[in-house]
Amino acid sequence: MRGRAVRFRKQLDWLMRLRRLSAGLVVLAVLLALPAGAAKPIAHREVLPNGIVLLVAERPAVPIIVVRTFAHAGAVLDPPDRAGLANLTGALLTRGTAKHTGPELDSAIEFVGGSLSAGAGRDGLSASLAVLKKDLGLGLDLLAEVLLTPTFPPDEVKRKVAQIQAAIKRSEEDPGTVANRALARLVFPNHPYGRPVEGTIESVGKLTRDDVARFHGANVRPDTTIITVVGAITVDDARREVLARFGGWKPPAEPSASVPPAAAGGPPQSETIEKDLTQATILLGRQAIRQTDPDYFPLAVASYVLGGGSASRLYSRVREEGGLAYAVYAYVSPGKYGASFNVSAQTRTAEIPKVLDIMREELVRMTREPVTERELKLAKEYLIGSFPLRLDTSSKVADFVVAIEEQGLGLDYADRYKERVAKVTATDVQRVAAKFFAPDGFNRVVVGAPKP
Amino acid sequence: MRTLLVAALLLVLVAGGAAAQSGERVLASTLDNGLRVLLQEDHRSPIVSFQMWYRVGSRNEARGATGIAHFLEHLMFKGTPTHGQGEFARLVEQNGGQDNAFTSQDVTSYYVNIAADRIDLVIDLESDRMHNLRLDAKDIASEREVVIEERRTRTEDDPGGFLGEEVSAIAFKSHPYGAPIIGFMEDIKRITPEEIRAFYKTYYMPNNAVLVAVGDFKAPDVLAKIRAKFGRIPKGPPPPPVLAVEPPQNGERRVVVGKQAQLPIVYVAYHVPNQKSPDAFPLEMLSTILSEGRASRLYKRLVYERQLALEAGGDYNYFAQDPNLFWFWGTPMPGQTPEAMEKALLAEMETLKKEPVTDEELQRAKNQVEATFVFQEDSVHRRASLLARFELIGGYADKDRFLERLRAVTAADVQRVARAYFPDDKKNVGVLLPRP
Repeated sequence: MRGRAVRFRKQLDWLMRLRRLSAGLVVLAVLLALPAGAAKPIAHREVLPNGIVLLVAERPAVPIIVVRTFAHAGAVLDPPDRAGLANLTGALLTRGTAKHTGPELDSAIEFVGGSLSAGAGRDGLSASLAVLKKDLGLGLDLLAEVLLTPTFPPDEVKRKVAQIQAAIKRSEEDPGTVANRALARLVFPNHPYGRPVEGTIESVGKLTRDDVARFHGANVRPDTTIITVVGAITVDDARREVLARFGGWKPPAEPSASVPPAAAGGPPQSETIEKDLTQATILLGRQAIRQTDPDYFPLAVASYVLGGGSASRLYSRVREEGGLAYAVYAYVSPGKYGASFNVSAQTRTAEIPKVLDIMREELVRMTREPVTERELKLAKEYLIGSFPLRLDTSSKVADFVVAIEEQGLGLDYADRYKERVAKVTATDVQRVAAKFFAPDGFNRVVVGAPKP
Repeated sequence: MRTLLVAALLLVLVAGGAAAQSGERVLASTLDNGLRVLLQEDHRSPIVSFQMWYRVGSRNEARGATGIAHFLEHLMFKGTPTHGQGEFARLVEQNGGQDNAFTSQDVTSYYVNIAADRIDLVIDLESDRMHNLRLDAKDIASEREVVIEERRTRTEDDPGGFLGEEVSAIAFKSHPYGAPIIGFMEDIKRITPEEIRAFYKTYYMPNNAVLVAVGDFKAPDVLAKIRAKFGRIPKGPPPPPVLAVEPPQNGERRVVVGKQAQLPIVYVAYHVPNQKSPDAFPLEMLSTILSEGRASRLYKRLVYERQLALEAGGDYNYFAQDPNLFWFWGTPMPGQTPEAMEKALLAEMETLKKEPVTDEELQRAKNQVEATFVFQEDSVHRRASLLARFELIGGYADKDRFLERLRAVTAADVQRVARAYFPDDKKNVGVLLPRP
């Protein structure tokens, strides 16, 4: 879905009004927190001779194919003085290869109504291809070119640096982005997760073509790459097509880079960032645990009861009863090297203290008393029952399969998740809440409030 | 998925869905009370997308009561005598479903995506709130504050939304498209419970709604269930038509606003016909040629080649009920001025008038739209939305003719509509100047 159909329309979002709005992070967290239904494995998995992990999910009904690749080349590998390097590298992959210029790549894929994009996140560098089945050959040729033989032409590097700097500058006007950046710094001090994926205007300005070429050479490599093919294709055909283009790709001699898990954060801190806005964005956050920890499942349930849906405690008190906010959420945000648990709301400036009080009260209540049977049941039934909805398109299946593979959760993760969530008790929830919800353990960022 | 992204997809105009090639046929029926029902079986996943579309949006609002359609949309989640406060959301979530709603200028839409075996629950809930909404004063008072917060988030504190409201206001003298969907702050604060109840009675009735479901069910069975629950709701008097016709624009209009922001924004908007005119097809093609992808004209020239803009595009709403605007936008790169941005956008317009688009541009746009139609088939939610969108402008079957008509568009057609509808002396220009 991403990239197709949305059509650069973001600017005109204001032409529609929604009842509820949710933070992008929530979607990601929920996606990674997926329960599963069927016992049938979600995808075929095999390791190709050069180390590529190939995952294939057949969805024969609609003649489209989605391919996602993921390399262990995310912003976590940025050298501390080169923040934004992975992001710049990802953005430049489609800007010129040994065979084609950037505009030629754009024209070739768009002429057949397909899309090809690449970009880095915290943990990895992804490329994404979506084509009609008949155009798979062309699409995979281009995908292989951008991953294996990007040329990083100097004028494209210069152009992309300027665009990223401009985008960073503009993002300073979005209070949610500003708040999230500040919070990451507080929650993950001294870890790459504390630095923005896109870097800063200054750090990006110092990046060179050599930095990019070196980063690509060292980190975009078959032995840390996942290729997921989803759609109207068989496993055999997918293997043949992928091997034909990626089979000869050789890993560099040096071992792949390793990343330390996030160390515990320091003492919680508060930060207020003044902006001339009518509303304040409030973000609380602290480190938490990821899916490999057995307590993750009670945490997911606790988070849902506190602020996961329209029946949650925070939504009820802050929005439904108080009329204090349009958006209020609690969510776990797991990554490969660390996780955070966050609570967020946007409210009119005058009500900041009241919203903070409610957040504190509800966090404390989660630690002091067990959740009700009704709440527990709702959370578990939602987390388990909404599974089929999260895998109802090829893009969603591809995202999910990549996520469980790169996080090392195993193809049966969906089933395990379902079992684990089903077993969560009110006592578990309270125990985990006591560990993670004590209000004094949270860092706090407020954006927008002018000085009193 | 209750994200902005998905909602944005609902609005997408080239959101195709070629039932003709891969879908099951549509079971279409109109109940005795006027409720239009479209059901399409899709057995790939054990889910259903159930959508209620009411023919009411901000275009149906009176001056002084802007935002009432959107306000009511919020209140549709507040409860009925049978399903109390919070029950609707709780029941949907407890059954693993996802729901949301949106209001546009033309329609108000509610959807629930849920496991197909829970469709009875959704039929029950949706039929209940079509007719029995409680709308008590206390709920209205607290939800009013939520709507005000929403306006702060998306208009007062959002530069793009802020400028959009200003440009719409100067573009329309008479037609309610000039007022914001969320409503003016003054109106949101003022609207009374009595007015909301009257608005609900006027527009929420079976003969003003379209029900669409696509998913893993047997259509005749579901139709029987819908008939049993919705069939009891009485037909209402036809809602009052929107009479306003926007008079021709007599000269350029311009608005400049200052706002805390990092970069300027430029909007240029022109009055264009809607889908009732054959020119809608070339306009739709033009929108794709200008904005779809990195090879599209405005991206390639203004963002890539000239490096003048961080973003630039053009947008046409094929599904508008009344003639609306063709929007162009550009965000200048740091160091570039809004004047240069505007000049560049206008120069592109002049080029469109002078030279036909190339064969490659036209063919690429057609291929993009055709592919989009196929991609849409992958999602029951998008299939259902598209059926509804076409039904609301004349008939779901037009969906199949839409592609045919787009394929027939020529470069000369595109040039003709650019000449006809983008006259330099009838533009509406909005400029947002950043204030630190």
